[in-house]
Amino acid sequence: MAKRIIDWIDHRFPLTRFIKHELTGYPTPRNLSYWWNFGFLAGFVLVLQVATGIFLAMHYKADVTLSFDSIQHIMRDVNYGWLLRYLHSTGASAFFLVIYIHMARTLYYGSYRAPRELMWWTGQGLLLLLMATAFMGYLLPWGQMSFWGATVITNLFRATPFIGDQVVIWLRGDYTVGDATLTRFFALHYLFPFLIIGAVLIHLVALHTVRSSNPSGIDLKAKDNIPFHPYFTSKDFYGLGLFLIVYCTFVFFFPDKLIEPANNIPANPMQTPTHIVPEWYFLPFYAILRAVPNMVGGVVAMGLSVMMFAFMPFLDRSRIPGGAHFRPWFRIQFYLFLLDMLVLGYVGYIPPTNNSIVIGQIATLCYFGSFFLLPFISKAEERWLVKRGLPPAVQTLMVSEAEEKSRRKSR
Amino acid sequence: MKKFIAWLALCSLISTAGATETKLEKIQVDTSMAAVERGIDNLMGNCHNCHTLKYVKYHDLLHFGISKSKVDAWRGDQPLDAPMTGLLPDTAAMQSFGKIPPDLSLMANAREGGPSYVYAYLLGYYTTAEGLPGNHIFPETKMPDALGISSATDEAQRAEIKSKARDIVSFLTWAADPHKAERHRLGYYVIGYLLVLTLMMYFVKKKIWSRLE
Repeated sequence: MAKRIIDWIDHRFPLTRFIKHELTGYPTPRNLSYWWNFGFLAGFVLVLQVATGIFLAMHYKADVTLSFDSIQHIMRDVNYGWLLRYLHSTGASAFFLVIYIHMARTLYYGSYRAPRELMWWTGQGLLLLLMATAFMGYLLPWGQMSFWGATVITNLFRATPFIGDQVVIWLRGDYTVGDATLTRFFALHYLFPFLIIGAVLIHLVALHTVRSSNPSGIDLKAKDNIPFHPYFTSKDFYGLGLFLIVYCTFVFFFPDKLIEPANNIPANPMQTPTHIVPEWYFLPFYAILRAVPNMVGGVVAMGLSVMMFAFMPFLDRSRIPGGAHFRPWFRIQFYLFLLDMLVLGYVGYIPPTNNSIVIGQIATLCYFGSFFLLPFISKAEERWLVKRGLPPAVQTLMVSEAEEKSRRKSR
Repeated sequence: MKKFIAWLALCSLISTAGATETKLEKIQVDTSMAAVERGIDNLMGNCHNCHTLKYVKYHDLLHFGISKSKVDAWRGDQPLDAPMTGLLPDTAAMQSFGKIPPDLSLMANAREGGPSYVYAYLLGYYTTAEGLPGNHIFPETKMPDALGISSATDEAQRAEIKSKARDIVSFLTWAADPHKAERHRLGYYVIGYLLVLTLMMYFVKKKIWSRLE
């Protein structure tokens, strides 16, 4: 019976072929480490955010006089409303954590290198969408930090040449952040996740075209590729269990550690909080914004700091595959960059002092410096490594990649 | 590398400098039923005349376990599902204090330091050299010294006021997050379940991967 149904479907839709091609027969490098779990985890958190978000939207009211109250209604009166809300608010942090680890893995192993540039760029687009979604979602509880955060960030668009003031009004729908802003942010906060789902599909189609990279950086022989299902489904589900333990610890025991106390005060346009801080996942970029004394410069620096990642395929000029695996200089640079991000995050968190401003400026210089120096460092490192002698497998791959490139050029 | 270590050291210096500005005595909130109930008794006597608790409804108190007769006495002729709004009209508040006293429903979560802040604030009153009331924690406050800590001199009286403040904080902590106990209870089950599930997933993964040579 089941076979007949499947036959009936297969006649009209490539179901069996799809499952075979993308799951049970999809070749995946067997040496993937647990760092390759995070793409799947990001997908899981996306579904979780959409699912909890839809139920929250059933009880939430996007109106400046009602939204703060409606959150308290969800927290106190709706059955398990507190659970939905904490799953969602903690989920935002979890999403960024997972995505940042996913990006760090790509950087470390050089997975952005040819032929995976499109994966990296669609990923960059996804990061921007995620940031926009999180930023707009943060306004919805209409607390003090929601209001002032949105005010500060929308104000940055004043840096747009010639039409800055108009752009800010256009974004807010009013002269200040108000009811018009809240309702449009709610509408867009509901829309963007579906754009993200669409972009994720493109990301996955690209993935299944170029296939996963792997820790060695060398294309594995056919026998070293194993089917995605059941090997990587079982591995992903085990990783999911570990992730859920950490996530649920936060949801059930420390959910308010991720919510600023000031956001438990209803938005008050007449009273600025003493210290406006964004959520932790924006802190490094916020520190870069504050490091530049000039507003337009700060905005440009902040925008550029997020977009710098997209240039990695051009900036990294080393022909040695495998990212940090075969490249000691690159590895040191990677860890220093992570450290720099932590310093920036810390500087973004504390109220600005004379010392912290200087530290933030030095850290900002290091941030951009590590990108701009990469072409020279990577080339010098390559020369040094070639002189020292590389493993034969790496040499073969470099030769074959060079041949591939020249063949494509001559065509 | 050395440079980075130097920066980190600098950062930690700054953070310790910042921490001394608001030094709150960190208190352990007593979440027991008895403490919360003593807390609401004190709150109804000392705070509720001016402050609202608009997100707490009278039936929430019943649900928590406060006796029906007590709740009925507090609510008067208001229905059970009415919020605990205050008794002080806004205009009168503006006349006496120049501002409307803040709602207390979320107070235990709405300040840096949480319950410790509220406790320190309630006990932060003193009499200035000019004989005026002052508060160490929140100098701009318009609230009078409701518990009378600034005029209490003998130790027994001060201890009593301190325990009153502790109980009020216990109640406010409950009021700010009434599902906390339930959340923790459920949390232990969820984490326990996930530990078992994850362990099983680990063995499933191991079993499947053992097929590879």
